[in-house]
Amino acid sequence: MARRGKASGKATGKAKGALRPKAAPPAERFSTPRLLRNLALAALPVVLLWLALTPFYNRFLIAAGGNLVRLTEVPNATELVPALEDRHYALVVRTDFPPATRRVGSFRVTDLHFHLLLLGTLFLAVPGVPWQERLRNLGWALLAAVCFHVVLVLLWVKFQYATQLGDWSLEHYGPAARNFWGLAKHLADLPVKLGLPLGLWVVFYLDRLLPRREAM
Amino acid sequence: MSDERPKEPTDATQSTGWRAYRREITFLVVFLVLLAGSFTLISWNPVNDLVIEPFTGGVAVVSGWTLDLIGQDVEMQGTVIRNSRFAVNIMNGCNGVETMLIFLSAVLAFPAPWKMRLAGAAFGVVAIQLVNLLRVVALFLTGVYFPDFFDASHTVVWQTVVILCGVLLWIVWADRVARPAPAAAKSA
Repeated sequence: MARRGKASGKATGKAKGALRPKAAPPAERFSTPRLLRNLALAALPVVLLWLALTPFYNRFLIAAGGNLVRLTEVPNATELVPALEDRHYALVVRTDFPPATRRVGSFRVTDLHFHLLLLGTLFLAVPGVPWQERLRNLGWALLAAVCFHVVLVLLWVKFQYATQLGDWSLEHYGPAARNFWGLAKHLADLPVKLGLPLGLWVVFYLDRLLPRREAM
Repeated sequence: MSDERPKEPTDATQSTGWRAYRREITFLVVFLVLLAGSFTLISWNPVNDLVIEPFTGGVAVVSGWTLDLIGQDVEMQGTVIRNSRFAVNIMNGCNGVETMLIFLSAVLAFPAPWKMRLAGAAFGVVAIQLVNLLRVVALFLTGVYFPDFFDASHTVVWQTVVILCGVLLWIVWADRVARPAPAAAKSA
């Protein structure tokens, strides 16, 4: 730590009055031990908040995702409804199917957004950043995550329509469409979902990890 | 690629607009391309059958040995680990590969000398597998002693913990890699 501080201090001194812009000082780097300590401190509140808000957020996602699905279909035949037996699940219902077969699928809504635990903990744990800035960055990251979740609901429903309904899927979706929705759901539900917290964190805080841009 | 520590452009502080975020954008684009590419690759049947399935079998065997070592008296049937009270099937998704790919994509996307990237990748893969081993063992014990908590522990808690470990390993590695070298510090 001392080595790093010394180095950057000297470089800053040399750059004084030369190339460094007055309005944009470089972001301070953080120490890993403080990050680990903050992660431990932030984890419990984030978990409790997520657990408390999950039932409401699931309902919001089911409603918003259902609206997005209906925007993409003519005529509107899809309804997403919360499962009565398990509040973590959503049922996919098609109103144009016979009553006995209207329930065409389901998915676990809570699984779509459990990565918020990781996102919240990472954003709140960054040391050396004022709380106001941390919360503002977290707010932007959450907004991006919510948009992603709504799109993920759409991908889950389209994936079920395109690949899981047997003859009906074959009749309504060609090979290209089946592959497209299958791959899109796979990529969104695994790499993008799992990598999103790190990706969003990097957007706001990578400059604290990268070597300083020093003017020589 | 050289093994020199990364040198930054001297006129970087004068960049404006999107150019000021060139390094962030480059990292993100490379990270996402590697992430999507690697996950697509492992979902391809030949790769899955020849690489991922045997690897998952190996994870199951090591987990079984570890559970035996701590007195759980388990027996293996393929990728299924069972004792008289509980059984788990180690499947794709339980093998730590997703976290390894996230970590490796982030390591490869970070501007660092190749030697350090390779060292970080090797260390990270081993560390992530150790955490995943802990996860499988802990989940089995949860199933044996606290079966009501198994589902939540499986889908939410341990998945988050393993990915968090991968992300933390990357942050720690990137922080070390990005520190100025002693020689650079003297000449600065």
